Amino acid sequence: MILLLQYTLIFASVLMLVALGGCFSERSGVINIGLEGTMVIGALGGALVMKYMPPEAGAFAVVALTVLASALLGMVFSLFLAVAAISFKADQTIIGTAMNMLATAGATVAVKAINTAASGGHDVSSDIAYTYTKDLFIVRFGEFEFNWFMLIAFVCLIISYIALYKTRFGLRLRSCGEHPQASASVGINVFKMRYAGVLISGLLAGLGGIVYITAGVSVWKFEYGVAGFGFLAMAVMIFGAWHPMRIALAALLFGFCRALGNVYSGLDLMTALNIPGVVYNMLPYIISLVVLAFTSKKSRAPKAAGLIYDKGSR
Amino acid sequence: MKKEKTPLLRSSGFQNLLASLICVLGGLVVGFIVLLLIEPSGALKAILAIMTSFFRYPGKLMLKYFGQTLVRTVPLLMCSLSVLFAYKVGMFNIGVAGQYVAGACFSLYSALAWKLPWLPCLLIGMLAAGLLGAISGVLKTKCNVNIVISGIMLNWIMLYSTNLLLGKVKSPSSPYTLSLKGTNPKALLPSLGLDKLFFDEKSVTIAIPLSILIAVGVWFVLQKTKFGYELKATGYNYNAARYAGMKENWNVIITMFISGALAGLGAGMLYLTDISPWETTCASVPAMGFNGIAVAFLGGLSPIGSILSSFFIQYITTGGGFVDLQVYSSQISDLISSLIIYLCAFVAFFRFFIQARIERAEKKKAEADNANKTEEGGNAQ
Amino acid sequence: MENTPYAIEMINITKRFPGIVANDKVTLQLKRGEIHALLGENGAGKSTLMSVLFGMYQAEEGEIRKNGKKVKIDSPNDASALGIGMVHQHFKMVECFSVLENIILGVEDTKLGVLRKAKAREKVVELSKRYGLSVDPDAMIEDISVGMQQRTEILKMLYRDNEILIFDEPTAVLTPQEIEELLAIMRNLAAEGKSILFITHKLNEILAVADRCTVLRKGKYIGTVDVKDCTRAQLSRMMVGRDVEFAVQKEDAKPGETVLEVKDLCLASKRSKRNSVNNVSFTVRAGEIVCIAGIEGNGQSELVYGITGLEGVLSGSVHFCGEDITHATIRKRSLLGMSHIPEDRHKHGLVLDYTLEDNLVLQRYFEPEFTTRAGVLRRSNITAYAERLIDSFDVRSGQGAETVTRSMSGGNQQRAIIAREIDKDPRLLIAVQPTRGIDVGAIEYIHKQIVAERDSGKAVLLVSLELDEVMTVSDRILVMYEGEIVGELDPKTTTVEELGLYMAGVKREVKQ
Repeated sequence: MILLLQYTLIFASVLMLVALGGCFSERSGVINIGLEGTMVIGALGGALVMKYMPPEAGAFAVVALTVLASALLGMVFSLFLAVAAISFKADQTIIGTAMNMLATAGATVAVKAINTAASGGHDVSSDIAYTYTKDLFIVRFGEFEFNWFMLIAFVCLIISYIALYKTRFGLRLRSCGEHPQASASVGINVFKMRYAGVLISGLLAGLGGIVYITAGVSVWKFEYGVAGFGFLAMAVMIFGAWHPMRIALAALLFGFCRALGNVYSGLDLMTALNIPGVVYNMLPYIISLVVLAFTSKKSRAPKAAGLIYDKGSR
Repeated sequence: MKKEKTPLLRSSGFQNLLASLICVLGGLVVGFIVLLLIEPSGALKAILAIMTSFFRYPGKLMLKYFGQTLVRTVPLLMCSLSVLFAYKVGMFNIGVAGQYVAGACFSLYSALAWKLPWLPCLLIGMLAAGLLGAISGVLKTKCNVNIVISGIMLNWIMLYSTNLLLGKVKSPSSPYTLSLKGTNPKALLPSLGLDKLFFDEKSVTIAIPLSILIAVGVWFVLQKTKFGYELKATGYNYNAARYAGMKENWNVIITMFISGALAGLGAGMLYLTDISPWETTCASVPAMGFNGIAVAFLGGLSPIGSILSSFFIQYITTGGGFVDLQVYSSQISDLISSLIIYLCAFVAFFRFFIQARIERAEKKKAEADNANKTEEGGNAQ
Repeated sequence: MENTPYAIEMINITKRFPGIVANDKVTLQLKRGEIHALLGENGAGKSTLMSVLFGMYQAEEGEIRKNGKKVKIDSPNDASALGIGMVHQHFKMVECFSVLENIILGVEDTKLGVLRKAKAREKVVELSKRYGLSVDPDAMIEDISVGMQQRTEILKMLYRDNEILIFDEPTAVLTPQEIEELLAIMRNLAAEGKSILFITHKLNEILAVADRCTVLRKGKYIGTVDVKDCTRAQLSRMMVGRDVEFAVQKEDAKPGETVLEVKDLCLASKRSKRNSVNNVSFTVRAGEIVCIAGIEGNGQSELVYGITGLEGVLSGSVHFCGEDITHATIRKRSLLGMSHIPEDRHKHGLVLDYTLEDNLVLQRYFEPEFTTRAGVLRRSNITAYAERLIDSFDVRSGQGAETVTRSMSGGNQQRAIIAREIDKDPRLLIAVQPTRGIDVGAIEYIHKQIVAERDSGKAVLLVSLELDEVMTVSDRILVMYEGEIVGELDPKTTTVEELGLYMAGVKREVKQ
C-alpha cells in the first residue's frame, strides 16, 4: 500500500508539473501538443547531469543542477513552438506534432552519439544510467520514499496558482488567451505574454520529464520517449479545466491509475480481480475521454487558445 | 471575361513544390550539421548514404531494397491520404496514429486468430480503423469534443488494447506476433508476379499499385464530385454547409470514418505482407501515423503530392539504415524527417514570402509601365 | 502655453493597405470640450483613421498633434499615455473577467507584482457615481447587458484619466432609450471638459449631440462643418456624394394567399433560461413584405433560425404553403421554395474559401444540371450558370466566376448571395439585415430587388434593425421585444417615435 501511495504521489507530481505547464501555455493562447517532446528533452538534460555528476557533490548540488538543467532545456526546446507559432503564425498542431518526433529522434541520436563516442563504438544503445545520483533525491521515512521532486511539484502548484490568479502577470496572461485583441487594446504586448506562457510551459514540462524518468527506474532508454506521459498530462489539464487546483486533483486521480498499473501485482485485492496491467494504463485516457464527452458542450478552454494572433485582425 | 493562363510562378502547385523543396533542403542541411557535430570525418559519407539510399547498392540488391522501400511507402502514403482527407474537411486527424494501430490490430488478429484469407482481413482492419475514426467524429458532432484531443486519447487507448489483443496471437517466446507465412499463408497479400520485378522480394504485393490508385481516387473524390464539394464546404465553413442543407454532422462523421479507414487499410497493406510482426510490448504509438502528417504537409496537402513525398520520406528513412552504425545512429533520418515536418509548418509563411516577392516584382514592373504610359500620355497632349 | 484650441489634430493623414488607400490626406481637428462627429459610410475610412489615432496602425504620411505639439503614436500604449481612450465598436473585453478586472487590465496597481484591487475598486465606484454610469464591479462581463458592458468600456477610459474619448459606432447595439442615455452621458462628459470623437453614420444622433462634424467619403476628406448650421440633407449629401433617395419607390401591396404561417413558435435560448422566441404567431402572404423590427438581440435572429430550420424549435408550428415544416430538414425547406439571405454572410451565407461559382450553386449544386447521376460535378455547367448570374446581377470580382469569394468586397459578396437566393425563384424570400455593412449605392439596389420580388408575387419576410429601412421598404411591420411580437404597425400611418416605443418594450399591443 505504501508503494502504491508513493507511486501515486510521484506520478501525480509528474502529471501536475506538465499539466501546469500546458495550462500556462494555453492560458496565454498557445496550444502545446509538444509537451511530450519537451518532457523528453528536459529528461535528457537532467539525466545527463545525473550521469556525470559525482554523487559526492552532495544532494543539494545534484538536485539543484539536475532541476536547473531539465528546466532550462525544456525552456529552450519550447522556443521551437514559441518562435513558430507566435512569431511565424504557424499551425500549432503541426508544430507540436513535429516537436514530439523531433525530441525523441534528437534525444536518441544525441544519447547514441554520446554512448558510441564514450565506448569507442561498443555501446550503441540509447540508454542513460543514473543509479547512484538517483538516491540523492530520496529521503526514506520507514518504507515510504519521499522524493524531493514531490515537494518541488507542490511548490510549483502554489506558485502557479498565485501567479495566474493573484498577480498582474497572471491577469494579463489570461487575458491574452481569452481575447488577445482586448489585451492589445489596453497596451499589453500579446506576443511577449505568449512567449512567456510557452516558455513557462517548457520549464515545467522539462522538469516533469526528469521526474518521470527517475520515478521508477534508474536507467532510461531514450528511444521510448516518455511513453505518452505528455499526452496524459494534456488530459489532466483538460480534466482539471485549466485551473491549477483542479489540475492537482486530476493529477492525483490519474497518477493513482498509473500507479495501480505499476504495482497491482503486489496487491492481493488487485491480483484477485485479474485485470491485465495495460488496462490501468488505459484507464486515465478512457476516463478523460468520457469526461470530455460530458463536459465539452460548455468548454472552459481559453477562448483564443490555438488561434493565431494577428495584429491586423480585429 | 478573358481567361489568362496563370504564369508558372504564380500557380499554387508550383509554389507548394517550391515551399516543400525548401523544407526538404532545410531538413537535410540541419541533419548534415548534426552529423558534423557527432563526427566530422564521416559526415559527408553519411549524408550521402541517406540521400542515395538504396541506389548505392549493385543491381539485384538495389532492386530488393527498392522493393522494401516501396512496401513501407504504402502505409505512409495511406496515412498521409488519411490526414489530408480529414484536413480538407477541416479536421486535424492526429488520431491517424491510433487508426493505423487499429488497422494493424484487426487485420493481424483476423489473419492469425480466425485464419481468414487476405481480403477479409484487409477489410476488417479497414472497418475497425474507420470506426475508430468515426468515434472521434461522433464525439465532435454530438459532444463537441475537440478532434485533436479525442484523437490523442484514442491513440493510447488503441495502443494498449492492441497489445492486449495481439498478445493472444504472439509467439510464446518473444513479444512479436506469429508470422503469417507459418500460421496462415492465405492471409498474405497476393503479389501477382510483382515480386519478380524486385528480385523476388516477397513483400512486394498488389498493395503498391493499389495505394497509388487510392491516392488518385481520393484526388478525384475531393476535386470532382458532389461528395467532395459537400465535404470541403463543411470543412471550410461548417455553418454555411448547414445553411445550404448539407448534412454537416454526418459529413464530419463520414469523413472521419473514411480517414480512419484509409489509415487502417494502410496498416493492413503493410502487416499482411509479413514484412514485420507487431511488437506487443511496444510502449509508444508507432510513428507511422505522425509521419503521415509530415508527408501530407510536405506533399502540399495534395494526394498526388503525397505519393511523391511519402516515397521521399521512406527513401531517406531507408537511407538512414545505411549510415555507418558504428559512428552514427539510424535515427538520424527520423531526425531529418521530423525537421522537415517542423519546417512544413512554415509552408504558409514560405508561400507568403514567395508570393510577396512575386507581387513586389510585378508591382515594380507595373509602376514602371505606368510611368511610361503617363509620360507618353503627357507627350501626346 | 496652450494657445491652440485643439486637443488633438490629425493633419493630412494617409494610410494605405495593399490595393486601397484607406485614408487619403485626411485632416481632423478636435477642440477641447467639444463633441466632434466623424461621419462616413461603411468603408469610408473612419475606423482606419481612428486606428491610426489609437496607435494600432501607423500612417504613412501626415502628423498628429496634441495641444499643438507634434506627437508620435506607435501603439495603444502611446495613445493611452497621451490621454486618448476608445470605446470600440466590438467591445474589447475579456468575457470571463469581472468588470473591475477588465477596467484595470493594463494599468493594474500592484505590490511586488501582486494585484491590489481595493483602491482600484474605490476609484471605479467613485467614477461611476460621478458620471452616472451604473455598473456592478464584481459582475462577470458575460453575465451583464450590452448597455452595462458599454458603460464598463467608458469607465475603462475614465479610470485611465483619458481626456480624449473616442466612441466608435456606440449606438448600434443600443435601444432608443439607451441611446438617449448614452447621448446624455456624452454631453455630461463634454461639459466636464473631456473632448469627444463620435464615429457614426447616423445623422439624427449627430444632429442631436455633436458640435462639429467631419465627413469622410471613400477614404477622402470631404470637409468639417458646424452642426448647428447644417441640415440632415446637407450632411447626407456630403457623406454619399449625391442626393440620396430615402424613399423607395413602390406601389401598394396586393397580398395573395398565405405562404408562411407561424403559430405559437417557441425557441430555447442558449444564454438564459427564458425562451429566445416566445409564442410568436404571424403570417406572410404572397405579394407583401412583412418586416420584423426590433433592437438587436430580441429574438429576431432566432425566429429566422426556427423558420429556416437552422435551429430546432421548442414548441409551436411553422407551415409553408400549407405544408407543416416545423421539423423538416433545411434542404426540404429550400426545395419547397424558401430562400434565405442570412444575417451573417460570412458565418452562414458563403463558403469564403470557395470560388464565386461554387458559392453561386451552393443551394443547387445537387440538381441534375450541375451533378451527374454518378455524383460527378458538371463543372462547365456550373461555370456557365455562374457567369449568367454574375452578368445579370452585376456581381463584380477580380477573376470572374473563379474569384475566391474571400477576396471580394462586402457589397459584392452580398450581391452574390442575393443573386443566388433570388434566382432560385422562391415562393418566400427571407432577408435578414440584407443591407448591413454595405454602401448606400448597393443598399438602394438591394431594396429595389426586394420590392421587385414582392411585385412578382413572392412573399418577403424582412428582418431589419435600421428604422429607415423598416419604414420605407415594408408593407407591414411586426415589432419584436424580448422574444415576443409586441405590436403590428402600418408603415404608412405609424411614426418612427411610435415604432421606437414598441421596440423598447414601453408600449405593447394586448394580444387578441
